[in-house]
Amino acid sequence: MSKGKRLAGTLAIPVIACIVTNVICLAKGVPMFETGLNWLTFVRAIANVSLVTYALSINLNSGRFDFSVGSIALLASVLSASISVKYGLHPAVMLVLSLLFGLILGFISGLIYITVKLPPMIVSLGVALLYEGIAYTLTGGHGVSFVNNKELLGFASVPNYLLIIVIALVCVVVIFDHTTFGYDYKALISGQRVAVNTGINEKKNALICYTIAGGLMGVQGFISATTTGSIQMALNFGSIAPMFMAFLPMFIGGYIGRYSNDKLGYLLGAVSMAFVSMLYVRLMVNSSVQQVVSALLLVGFLIFLNNEGRIKGLLHPKHEN
Amino acid sequence: MKSLKKFLVLLLSVFMVLGLAGCSGKGEESGSKGIDNMKNVKIGVLVADATGAEALAFRSYYENYIQKQYNVTFMYSDELADAAAESSAIDNFIANNCKAIISFASADRPAQIRKCAENKVYYAVATGTLSDDEYAEFKDNEYYVGAIGPDLYTEFQAGYNMAKYYLDQGKTKFAIFGGATPYYVDMHIYRTAGMLVAMCEAGNGDYNGAKDFGSMIGTIYGMNCQLTPAQIGSVELVSYVGGYDFDDAWFGKLAEAANNPNVEVLLAVGSGLDTFAAFKRPDQALGTVDSYTADAVKAMEAGTLNYLAGKFSASIGPIFMATVSAVQGKPIRTANGEALALSQGYWVATSAEEANNYFTVDSSTTDPAYTKAMLDKLYGASYDDFAKFVGAYSYEEIQNLKK
Repeated sequence: MSKGKRLAGTLAIPVIACIVTNVICLAKGVPMFETGLNWLTFVRAIANVSLVTYALSINLNSGRFDFSVGSIALLASVLSASISVKYGLHPAVMLVLSLLFGLILGFISGLIYITVKLPPMIVSLGVALLYEGIAYTLTGGHGVSFVNNKELLGFASVPNYLLIIVIALVCVVVIFDHTTFGYDYKALISGQRVAVNTGINEKKNALICYTIAGGLMGVQGFISATTTGSIQMALNFGSIAPMFMAFLPMFIGGYIGRYSNDKLGYLLGAVSMAFVSMLYVRLMVNSSVQQVVSALLLVGFLIFLNNEGRIKGLLHPKHEN
Repeated sequence: MKSLKKFLVLLLSVFMVLGLAGCSGKGEESGSKGIDNMKNVKIGVLVADATGAEALAFRSYYENYIQKQYNVTFMYSDELADAAAESSAIDNFIANNCKAIISFASADRPAQIRKCAENKVYYAVATGTLSDDEYAEFKDNEYYVGAIGPDLYTEFQAGYNMAKYYLDQGKTKFAIFGGATPYYVDMHIYRTAGMLVAMCEAGNGDYNGAKDFGSMIGTIYGMNCQLTPAQIGSVELVSYVGGYDFDDAWFGKLAEAANNPNVEVLLAVGSGLDTFAAFKRPDQALGTVDSYTADAVKAMEAGTLNYLAGKFSASIGPIFMATVSAVQGKPIRTANGEALALSQGYWVATSAEEANNYFTVDSSTTDPAYTKAMLDKLYGASYDDFAKFVGAYSYEEIQNLKK
């Protein structure tokens, strides 16, 4: 594949998303980026969505559907925010605590999975309930509120979010593309039996996957918490919702991955979705319309992926002859 | 010897008669003067929200105060998302021998009442009211105890008063968080309508042709509960956000609305602290309908929040007593034998001191707004006495009742 084609394939979706959303905004007489707040909202959306997408895709690519990612973000942020508010800690310390608690909770989740040997979907549902329950019990159901803590809320800035986005991307690319663990991970995806027969320890690999996903969700929980200054409790799988924002970027990332790196693809998927989010924000699109549009985008992209050959055939009939 | 036996038989008989008389007297006293604490009453509580501050405060009042004062056991449902979950929870309560159900869940109240009545289980609505049609259907059902809580006009008035508080200060640029208005939740629709009517009156204008209570409700429904900003005479609704999406777009919309330099006042039909507070500029005012929590008091002290209208947790005390009265055969009904339908409003705080006073009473598990001594007077009370007690709900009136 030529460099030009790879570049075009990599950038096509985010560029189309950028052009289409900006044209719609301009048609309505509203520039998409008018104030610093618009940029903040845009970059925060990229950070949030990319982190959840990485976390979800790590296990999903290996056939492990993990419903517990949202509950890890919830519990990690509850723990880190409680400690930070109590001891008046700096936001950077809260971020590190969120990451650490996320790693620990992810590790526990993985440990349960490899110990009980039940299907990952069942295990993750149980873990989600467990973590939701612990967060509820720790806060007496009230959650954590720090709306008056200007220092913690002050973390929300474009440079901070960009730093998180870059560090997260570098980390996942290095870990999954340039380490022995990453090679093993890919080998297990390609063919588990063959990989295990060559001496790869699939349990250890799964454990590390869960731990990394947990760490990413810990950071995502931190971003959510410092956005509003409050962490609201979720019960009965109420924490599952955040993972749904990752599906479309994950499919987009998978598509872009054919032309470049899939991790970069997830990030560009998140960028594409951030443009769509900004469209909703700038035009104050009501939630019902928003849900319909988001669902249509997801279904439309899946239809495209499943019928790509036919669509290409229609566009380039000469190739078929 | 014979006469001694006769004497002993006579003596035992006298003791027995006296003993029986004593016992019957005791029973009569407990039945006529107060709640029968000898028998444990198991009450199921249906909840649609298990994590909201208001829901937690209500639960704390029942479990940490009422349950310790009376021989009752509260059995709580999980968070109920729909009518099917409500039905299943009622089945569970009935299987667990609950004699009554107090409901905070409203997905399908008629179905709840019918099911309870079929199973001879008493049913009461906490913090809410039935619609007129629903009340007409169930008011004569002996197992429907009634409802106490803000009726829809009270909700309208709560929104109206909050907006008017700022309009009277000369504020003219507003943003509204409409909460569950897009999901057709009446409580939030009526509060929003109240805000808009207050703006119409102050601005001498109209909102999409509506300017009073009736027409505003009709207009909101006519807009499919999806409101939009508008110029209302000299007042402007600069921005409006509805729903609870909790996604990036939702947070972005809240930030846009709150950070708009043209907005002077942010009004929330609920959850104002969780939505607008983090995004607002220091010079903006924030008012919300919410509950009295430590965080809300802190926010008022910090000047983040300026107006708080909240239900007090003990407001669910009278409906508890009406339910127990019904279970123990002393139902409280109107002169026509109809179920209770009483409205109760909000406590409004516009200063940190007021909010702190309300919170202190509201969060107390030893001396709450409605104490045992106050509630005891409601057991088997006449409808008029009961209605008078419930109607005196302001903080000051309750403090006077305590004296």
